[in-house]
Amino acid sequence: MVLADLGSKVADALRKMTRATVVDQTVMNEMLAEICKALLQADVNVAQVKALRESIKKNVDVEALASGLNKRKMLEQAVCNELCAMLDPGKEPYVPKKKQPNVIMFVGLQGCGKTTTCTKYAHLYKRKGFKCALVCADTFRAGAFDQLKQNATKAKIPFYGSYTETDPAQIAAEGVAKFKEEGYEVIIVDTSGRHMQEEALFEEMEQVAQLTSPDDIVFASAFKKKVAVGSCIITKLDGHAKGGGALSAVAATGAPITHIGTGEHIEDFEDFEVKSFVSRMLGKGNIK
Amino acid sequence: VGAKQLERADLEPLIEQLQAQLITKNVAADIGSQICESVCTSLLGTSQQGFGTMRATVRSALEKTLTRILTPSHRVDMLAAAAAAKAEGRPYVICFVGVNGVGKSTSLSKVAYYLKSNGFTPMLCACDTFRAGAVEQLRVHANALELPLFEKGYGRDASGIAQDGVRYAKQMGHDVVLIDTAGRMQDNEPLMRALSKLVTLNNPDLVLFVGEALVGNEAVDQVRGFNKSLSEYSASRDPRLIDGIMLTKFDTISDKVGAALSLVYTTGKPIVFVGVGQTYTDIRNLNVDHCVRSLLKS
Repeated sequence: MVLADLGSKVADALRKMTRATVVDQTVMNEMLAEICKALLQADVNVAQVKALRESIKKNVDVEALASGLNKRKMLEQAVCNELCAMLDPGKEPYVPKKKQPNVIMFVGLQGCGKTTTCTKYAHLYKRKGFKCALVCADTFRAGAFDQLKQNATKAKIPFYGSYTETDPAQIAAEGVAKFKEEGYEVIIVDTSGRHMQEEALFEEMEQVAQLTSPDDIVFASAFKKKVAVGSCIITKLDGHAKGGGALSAVAATGAPITHIGTGEHIEDFEDFEVKSFVSRMLGKGNIK
Repeated sequence: VGAKQLERADLEPLIEQLQAQLITKNVAADIGSQICESVCTSLLGTSQQGFGTMRATVRSALEKTLTRILTPSHRVDMLAAAAAAKAEGRPYVICFVGVNGVGKSTSLSKVAYYLKSNGFTPMLCACDTFRAGAVEQLRVHANALELPLFEKGYGRDASGIAQDGVRYAKQMGHDVVLIDTAGRMQDNEPLMRALSKLVTLNNPDLVLFVGEALVGNEAVDQVRGFNKSLSEYSASRDPRLIDGIMLTKFDTISDKVGAALSLVYTTGKPIVFVGVGQTYTDIRNLNVDHCVRSLLKS
């Protein structure tokens, strides 16, 4: 399980609470302190951790609970709910529809794994029976087209790109038009990495978005203001990666997380579902 | 009001505030608390005039501590070391390591440019034999910088390629060899073993850990993981560890510079360069004052 570290710490805190002879305010505060510490160590934003703590305190009034209720179970449930709420923006993600072209544009910071994820995404939908294609609109980074080309070839997915053309908007428009004509259902546009402090690159991204009019734009926090990000994919959640922060930060932007990347290989890619993710993280099996 | 001895109870609330502040600046949580704890201990028992300046006292103590941590005990002077190696008639070998996507290849090309503009002839050595497009990426940089590239394509054992590369550079009289390695997560045992083998076999003059300024707590895990694997899987009795740090994407984080602090605190090694953009000239030395100011600014 990804985020095993955070999961085991939170589960520990819960277990300690359930073992206490009498569940009262002190026991609850102790448990909350432990959970908050674990969350901070997983890079979750300080403000969000604080909000979680307040909200649990508010929702569960240990002293005032009626005698028939199981306080332990209620507290456990409250923690679970809060963790879910933290990761759930409360919005349905875009789902590609069959028998029509779905243009999906990938944006993100440098080195966050866009190109690799594009191929994984295409591979996943290909297995689900969609006709997928890749367009490389990264004209900036050295070797970007080669990377996509090699990935796509390995996964046997058609791709479009150019070594010579330098205008990404042009390539994206051409590629998307071509694949639409050929009846592809999922058309994925890979763009170059960029961050908020780079105005010029943002204009370029808007151009690409205008020309291709994507149905969904995938990933990430600060981008929300500039283009309407539809969904997020969290990459590099494998191993020790303290993805807690990324997960919560992204959820805070209001865009639902659709998938997570858990390794370098093309199969290391899963659908993301908040409830089952949290319950697996806490070691409670995959309940829905 | 006379001189007042500072007590733990007086300091605690202030320290807690500063700790939260450090965490918002991306300092790893436990490192933030360790630093604040040591500041607190150092202030205990010292005299203090009045109450109003307590905050200032704690702040200045923290400032001093941060400056001390960030100022490294020794500097990595790449140019001098490269010149010394040249005088010995052997190439100066730098190995770039780090997790995926932190900017190893880009940093490598920046360092190559830096060395080239200082009169050396660096050779790039493509030892990322796994990731698609990695060799082509390096070739683009080599062409742009008009530098030699040593590569053997994909799928081969990286440590062997590095060895051949160093030998080739010696034959051809290139002064510096820059070894690019594949990105790997610090807890991926097989990949870390392979890296350790590469480092042990080639014994580079400088092992440069490339980390991105965007990460928080993860930074500490990464650098610890790399150091641990380098020493554990090494065959030699005196294992090579990370010698220096290159912090990339420094332009993306505005004032959340905590990763710099976490990395230096954990390793005790200097930050050799910071990367501040995507072009060859976007490479700087770390400005400690600026860094400390950013950390304390609320």
